[in-house]
Amino acid sequence: MKTLPIEELRELLAAVSRHGDWHLLEIETDLQQTTFLLNEAIEKLSASFMTVYAQLLEQQSALKLLADAGKLQPEEMQQLRVFQDNIGQEVNKVVTGMQFQDMTNQLLQRTINRVNGLKELLHELSSHQFPMAAEDEHEEIRNFIMQLNQNFDQGSQHLTGNLRKSVNQQDLATGDIDLF
Amino acid sequence: MAKTILTVDDSGSLRQMVAFSLKAAGYDVVQAVDGQDGLNKAKEKTVDLVLTDQNMPVMDGLTLITNLRTLASYQKVPILMLTTESSDEMKAKGKAAGANGWLVKPFDPKRLIEVVQKVIGA
Repeated sequence: MKTLPIEELRELLAAVSRHGDWHLLEIETDLQQTTFLLNEAIEKLSASFMTVYAQLLEQQSALKLLADAGKLQPEEMQQLRVFQDNIGQEVNKVVTGMQFQDMTNQLLQRTINRVNGLKELLHELSSHQFPMAAEDEHEEIRNFIMQLNQNFDQGSQHLTGNLRKSVNQQDLATGDIDLF
Repeated sequence: MAKTILTVDDSGSLRQMVAFSLKAAGYDVVQAVDGQDGLNKAKEKTVDLVLTDQNMPVMDGLTLITNLRTLASYQKVPILMLTTESSDEMKAKGKAAGANGWLVKPFDPKRLIEVVQKVIGA
């Protein structure tokens, strides 16, 4: 039975590792960029939201002064109360919605950690330096691949163990509350 | 005098939304960026309620609660978890560590304030 020459096998594995590493580096870069953009977006959204809210409070104070001075008709005051209630409800929705970044950040970080773990696993392909005797090449390659496979399994299990999923939310519906 | 709430979360945006909601309801808010920071701030001033995340760098929420419960001044201070974690297993761990409640993110400000008022009053 003809066997793979060991040096060619090493080159093949090194190439798989090299290409895999390059693609994973690209993924990691994109994820870091996404994280950065989301962080900047949430900072700007939060700052604008706080400013809008502060201005609304000022506006409501000014309207209250007018109402107290009797310069507003009862129906106008009723209309203002409706506006105020609507604004309050929308503010609550914004506060709930703005929490997306906490969850997406955790998911992105988990993905980045998995990419880094996968890079380490792939590195195993190119760094393995088993000494092999030419006369037993077939058996040696078999052992080599079995050992690689075993290391992959262990590395993969270790990686999974360190990447417990803490975000299972599929939407921004508000979560449960339990008081003990 | 307004009651003081310590809110612990490594997410700046989440801390900002929690602080915004609590301040709008008339509470004073102290913010901490992780469990260790929360523990240090809790020691500086005994607060009326602690609201903490679970997954944070340096020190997580469960460890923070365990540490707080060893302090005489925090034996009876209510502690609520506010976290993305929603499993029964984690809730049981929180209860065992000394948490008084578990709120799963994202929170609705109105419901958060209702819970806080129920636990420590207005």
